[in-house]
Amino acid sequence: MPGAIAFEFPQLYFTGLWLTIQISIFGLLSALVIGTIVAVLRISPIAPLRWIGAAYVEFFRNTPLVVQLFFFFLGLPLIGLRFSTDTFENIFRAASVGMGLYHGAYVAEVVRGGLLGVDRGQIEAARSLGLSYPQMLRYVQLPQTFRSVIPPLGNIGIALVKNTSLASTIGVTELLFAAEIVESRTFRAEEAFLAATLLYLALTIPLGIAVNALERRMLVAR
Amino acid sequence: MRGFTRALALGLVLAFIATACAGGTTTPSPTVAASASSTRPKFDLATYQYALQTKGKVRIGTQEDNTPFSVKNPATGKWDGFDVAVGRELAKAIFGETDDPDKFIEYVAVTSATRIPSLTDNKADVIIKTFTINDDRKKQIDFSDVYFKTGQRILVKKDNTTIKEAADLAGKTVCAQRGSTSEQNIAKATNNAARPLLLDSYPACLLALQQGQADAVSTDETILFGLVKQDPNTKIVGKYFSTEPYGIGVKKSVNGDRTGFVDFINRTQIVMITSGTWAKFYEQYITPVSGDKKRTPDD
Repeated sequence: MPGAIAFEFPQLYFTGLWLTIQISIFGLLSALVIGTIVAVLRISPIAPLRWIGAAYVEFFRNTPLVVQLFFFFLGLPLIGLRFSTDTFENIFRAASVGMGLYHGAYVAEVVRGGLLGVDRGQIEAARSLGLSYPQMLRYVQLPQTFRSVIPPLGNIGIALVKNTSLASTIGVTELLFAAEIVESRTFRAEEAFLAATLLYLALTIPLGIAVNALERRMLVAR
Repeated sequence: MRGFTRALALGLVLAFIATACAGGTTTPSPTVAASASSTRPKFDLATYQYALQTKGKVRIGTQEDNTPFSVKNPATGKWDGFDVAVGRELAKAIFGETDDPDKFIEYVAVTSATRIPSLTDNKADVIIKTFTINDDRKKQIDFSDVYFKTGQRILVKKDNTTIKEAADLAGKTVCAQRGSTSEQNIAKATNNAARPLLLDSYPACLLALQQGQADAVSTDETILFGLVKQDPNTKIVGKYFSTEPYGIGVKKSVNGDRTGFVDFINRTQIVMITSGTWAKFYEQYITPVSGDKKRTPDD
């Protein structure tokens, strides 16, 4: 059976899988929060806030994720910052934070697109009805935005799950790392990586289905 | 506004680069002295060393950045190091005593991964590059006798007093290259009690050690030598807990195309060791980083 090797080394594969899931969930949630805040900053009527939002997106979108991860792992301690005194907790958090910050930039651009897609007349109507700018965002602009950006957000989510494999470069023993260890011990490369591939698919395919279902449900509500 | 945003992004990038850049390099460059007179050794016509002598060149495969064993000086293009010195001895054994054995040597730059292919594809006559003799490799190529012995040891910060031997690594964070045998040796030596931090390269491990994110780095002593040279605030401790015997690699003789060559290299090695030349090389290249002295590989 393809992937059976995962059950020969359950300790490696399933703790690796669990780490991948944890980093993915933390990364997804923080990317959503960061992305939404940055998107709101980018369309803010106040110019300096727009600049901060734009600088964030340009910086995190234009540098490789691996470089950012190494910066969080080996760069920050040079200026005295560390996520945890425990090395393994530190690299795990560095990976999670890195996922959130990097993909937050992409989420920001998608959400900004959604925010700009809301009809200008609705915004003016809300403001003239007496809603403050934050209220207008909360009740008029953002709810419509989230509905329209579910498909592209799903893409980012799936990309994020796959990008967690880069955490192995800073020593996090996630799923890909587990496969590499098994490969170096058994020299059974095809089996080792096939098992990892199947486990990644077991995460990304259901995620894709969930996103599609969510999209359909939101369509009905509209 | 655009200009300001760009400036802000640029500022972030610069701060990023400034903090990311840290570390240093060193380049050693002593040279080997050789003495005069040139009488060509006589060889049996069927041997490979005779073929090389006739051709006038021996192709030596080694690495460009493997301190203290082989280094190519980027400024002068001159090669140096323990393995290079051994190679020059071999050239002298083929072409006779000379002040400049390099005129008979064609250096072929190899990496760990290209060592065996450069022999089997006939790109190099010998590989002298911290080449561990093992059974898997013996199936593909021939090795000379052991000309250098090393093993896995431990690198710690100079002020560390708690880690002295492999057993002390239990419960400690130990950095090694992922996919390497070093990692498996650590697990074996500590009964899986060490916490392995596995990264892509040893310089990254060194950085983790400097920052206290790893308590120790462990791999072949030869690699640790290079790291100590980079950061003198570290030291190598403990006895060997694995053995890595280095040999000179040669293509297997097919239809007699390498007749007598391995035996010839072995005889050259014996002469090198018994004449004290080996000890001289050890003192010149290895003692500055290891601090000890050896007369033979088995010391």
